[in-house]
Amino acid sequence: MRVAVAGNPNVGKTSLFNQLTGARHSVGNYPGMTVEQREGTLASRWGDARYQIIDLPGTYSLSPVSEDEAVAFRCLHGGPGISPPDAVVLVLDATNLARNLYFALQVLELGLPTVVALNMVDAAKQAGLHIDAAALEKALGVRVVPTVARTGTGVDALVEALADPGPGPTLDYPDVAAETLAKLEEHGASPARARWLLCSEAADTVALTGATEAESSALASIGRDVCWVAARSIIAARYDRVEGLLRTLALGDALESAPAMKGSERVDAVLTHPVLGLAAFIAAMALVFVSIYSWADPLVGLIEDAFDGLSGAITEALGPGLLTELLTDGLIAGVGNVLVFVPQIAMLFLFLGLLEDSGYLARAAFLLDRLMSRLGLHGRAFIPLLSGYACAIPAIMGTRTISSWKDRVVTMLMIPYMSCSARLPIYALIIGALFVSTPDDAWISPSVDRGLLLLSMYLLSTVSALAIGYLYKRTILASPTPPLVLELPPYRVPRLRNTLSVVMDKTLAFIKGAGTVILAFTIVLWAVLSFPRDETGAGGEGPTKIEASYGGRVAKSMEPLVEPIGQDWRVGIGILGSFAAREVLVSTLGLAYGMEADDEDPVQLRQAMREDVDEAGNPVHTRLSGLALMVFFVYACQCMSTVAVVKRETRGWKWPAFMFVSMTVIAYVAALLVFQIGRALGF
Amino acid sequence: MTGYARRRMLRAMLSAATLQVGESGLVDDVDGTDTTALRLLEMGLVSGTSITLIKAAPTGDPLQFRVRGFHLSLRKAEAHRVRLQKASE
Ligand SMILES: Nc1nc2c(ncn2[C@@H]2O[C@H](COP(=O)(O)OP(=O)(O)OP(=O)(O)O)[C@@H](O)[C@H]2O)c(=O)[nH]1
Repeated sequence: MRVAVAGNPNVGKTSLFNQLTGARHSVGNYPGMTVEQREGTLASRWGDARYQIIDLPGTYSLSPVSEDEAVAFRCLHGGPGISPPDAVVLVLDATNLARNLYFALQVLELGLPTVVALNMVDAAKQAGLHIDAAALEKALGVRVVPTVARTGTGVDALVEALADPGPGPTLDYPDVAAETLAKLEEHGASPARARWLLCSEAADTVALTGATEAESSALASIGRDVCWVAARSIIAARYDRVEGLLRTLALGDALESAPAMKGSERVDAVLTHPVLGLAAFIAAMALVFVSIYSWADPLVGLIEDAFDGLSGAITEALGPGLLTELLTDGLIAGVGNVLVFVPQIAMLFLFLGLLEDSGYLARAAFLLDRLMSRLGLHGRAFIPLLSGYACAIPAIMGTRTISSWKDRVVTMLMIPYMSCSARLPIYALIIGALFVSTPDDAWISPSVDRGLLLLSMYLLSTVSALAIGYLYKRTILASPTPPLVLELPPYRVPRLRNTLSVVMDKTLAFIKGAGTVILAFTIVLWAVLSFPRDETGAGGEGPTKIEASYGGRVAKSMEPLVEPIGQDWRVGIGILGSFAAREVLVSTLGLAYGMEADDEDPVQLRQAMREDVDEAGNPVHTRLSGLALMVFFVYACQCMSTVAVVKRETRGWKWPAFMFVSMTVIAYVAALLVFQIGRALGF
Repeated sequence: MTGYARRRMLRAMLSAATLQVGESGLVDDVDGTDTTALRLLEMGLVSGTSITLIKAAPTGDPLQFRVRGFHLSLRKAEAHRVRLQKASE
């Protein structure tokens, strides 16, 4: 049996899905967290009933006007090749029934067997709202089960109700827009389907509904003006019904003052205050970045030491030889140097997760929306952009909530400029290697300085993303300034345990990435850099071992390309490798330095980079060249997964190709400017 | 119509954007025939719905409203499209 979990955004569908399936998907206190349908099977503790559970994107309506709603619409409605689910779990937010019931009516119109999960009854009770589940059950004609998806209360009863959901309800609005609807029903559309088609035609988004040709031509002959009249009366009729339901529940006026938002209003008095709010936002961001640096640093050191110890032990146990080199220089140096940054990445995920779960992100969107609208950007673009700090891939999928295509593409093109977590290892390596200071010559204190430098890389990436958006919005993707229609959810105390487990999942996914792509890459690179074997054992004069290898020779011949941006051939190989995935840069450098270092005395990468000198005894990596390299990585699109996901979302190669080429060119030019101007100024 | 004249006309009309902080009104209708209009109607801004302006963001835009027991943020441009009935208390 296939069971779809449907509801408004942010009502707890994902939490409930996780309860039902035992999975851990990231929940977020922000409307529109789920933009894809996810499937899972009912957890085994409810016996062996074969339920397939489908988590749908939260939507305000079933008349699809954006891609995420279209996903929900197509799943619930069925269509060519998709059969509708056998039952629906309709999740309603007990604190927000006045709007939730509108969506509920639409689901009931479908006529599918339905069980209502009256969620957040804990929050409703706190707000002094008493919702009579039995009365609601009677009024809607389907089973209603009070739940608290956060803790799992009521989920047993919900599963029980699902075993026998009863027949599908029948719900109709006999006299509303009957004439117009009849014209569609002639073509075989059910009354429910006809209503959605009309509303979509009114909004000019029929393409998203998967309407048949007969339906489309019928809609065209009805005309948009008539559709609008019909759509308005349908919406009004549904809200009339909602008012009636609220009266039955004796809730009529209780909801008017938004009792569940009282606490949030007090918090908002500070957090969206014109002055205090902006100060709080800046402080929060600065805190995140400084703490990523200073709190994670000791851990990074520990991991570095552990890997050094490991390769030392292996060298000792196996003695010198090809296998030892493969293990220490290939595996440990390569993968180890990426894993070393896991603490920082986990912290970034943790902070973003906590902010998201608390409901603060929507406030940040509210506070900074003026900036977005001045730039002509979509209000809903803010959160995908912000989550781009963690990873571009979910962020790009998050743009599905944006209904206008051009605005969606603009946002997708902006997101890869946001510094994602994969850039963090690179910044961290360069800052850690080249920007060390003692407490005496530090500006504030060594770790705050570095945190601020890191913050400035993020600022640069953010400003650049916004500038790119502004530019595209006025040139290749010009269109009027889109709207902001955003619900501000109540603040909720984030659950550390849940957030931590999501952080674990995401971090493990990163490590798995490091374990597959990077491992394979590192071994190939190691081979390319180790052969032909240097059997003379000469050392001394002439090229070092690695320079004489196949890879070294290629890299050397490419040096003129990276020299203008202040890099040597080692970084050159790294940049080349990092077009597959950014993290490869770090592992390649680890490899290049690990291999050159004396086997008996493994040096840590950061130290090796710092102490590397050229023939004339000048340091190879200076602060300026480090800065140029970081700037290169701020702009470069070096992530095949991002390119792939943009291709999937835009259904073609045009935009991903454009994105890749433009970002690479910008990256090179920017790094060139930094290095050449910096040098001209005498740095 | 020039931008100036249009703006004057808009200001002369009662809309959600002309509310003072703390003030409420009753929705009359939503202007326009586009996706946003449909979205606003479906969010519950239908005729007769009470809407209260809670606050404005730092530079006066967007606005934060209370409507049907939840909080909704709209840019001024959208709020202008939410026309209000004359007799609001
Ligand atoms: N107090 C309370 N909070 C809940 C309950 N269920 C979920 N939440 C919280 O509500 C927020 C939203 O939960 P999600 O599960 O992400 O909601 P969703 O409906 O999947 O949201 P979208 O993905 O945006 O559609 C999270 O902060 C949850 O912790 C509940 O029963 N009581």
